[in-house]
Amino acid sequence: MPDYLETTVDKFTFRVATDRLYSREGVWALAEGKRVRIGLTDFMQQRSGDVAFAEVKPVGTALALGDEVASIETIKVDIALGSPVAGSVVEVNQALSEAPEAINQDPYGAGWLAVIEATDWEAERSRLLDPQAYFTVMKADAEAEVNKQ
Amino acid sequence: MTNRKRVAIVPCSGIGKTYGTVSREAAYEVTEDMRPAETQLVPLSLLVLGDEAARAAVAETPAVTIDGCKLACATKMVKDSGGTVAQDFAVLDVYRRYKPFKPQGIAELNEGGQKLAHVLAEEIAGVVDTLGASSEGDQNA
Repeated sequence: MPDYLETTVDKFTFRVATDRLYSREGVWALAEGKRVRIGLTDFMQQRSGDVAFAEVKPVGTALALGDEVASIETIKVDIALGSPVAGSVVEVNQALSEAPEAINQDPYGAGWLAVIEATDWEAERSRLLDPQAYFTVMKADAEAEVNKQ
Repeated sequence: MTNRKRVAIVPCSGIGKTYGTVSREAAYEVTEDMRPAETQLVPLSLLVLGDEAARAAVAETPAVTIDGCKLACATKMVKDSGGTVAQDFAVLDVYRRYKPFKPQGIAELNEGGQKLAHVLAEEIAGVVDTLGASSEGDQNA
């Protein structure tokens, strides 16, 4: 169980797991040796709404940084999710085809999307945000979202 | 002729939300076209306001609720009003089974949304029939 940074904005509480890195767009990346497990952040899943379908690129797909790794359809929006790392898809969360709600229920755990064999993780990790940096960005985005309403 | 109680159909009141509109369109189709004699539409807003007639409607008859999102307001309000939920439908769950019927639009649903509302209405009508059959069985017992 990771530790979390947590903030409440209006009536919504958002968590950021402290054991992984983040893209500015709200995708987390958890290093597991040379492999990187990825998924949607808690803020991203709450802002996007209940997930209807999640389609992840199949195993073997080669990805450049930012290439679409998954498309997610929610009750509000359709999201084309860019990969936070370059590499090759080596594992896909098959459970999402039957239960995509796992992305909403457990975004940092059972709702993971894919595992990518990173081309050069050491170089790419420096482009990602650490938990505190993402927490700051996310909080600003959440407050802007609430003030827009 | 039997004197069956009419099943209460309680849809989501999510005004301005596509899935709320699907839930209401399905409820209208069941109560106005498919099973008008066996069902009655109970507006969620009246339950929220504590309207006595609405509360009585769900307290005296089984209810079928249709929720537009995971907050499940329709289901919760029926239970909080002393009613019994015979079957709860979530529009999202139905859509997952009918992926080609992608709902869009709010005031007016697109074709996919209309088809989704229709298949949902058919499922609700099936539940109403089942409830009616079991009710008749009880009366004949």
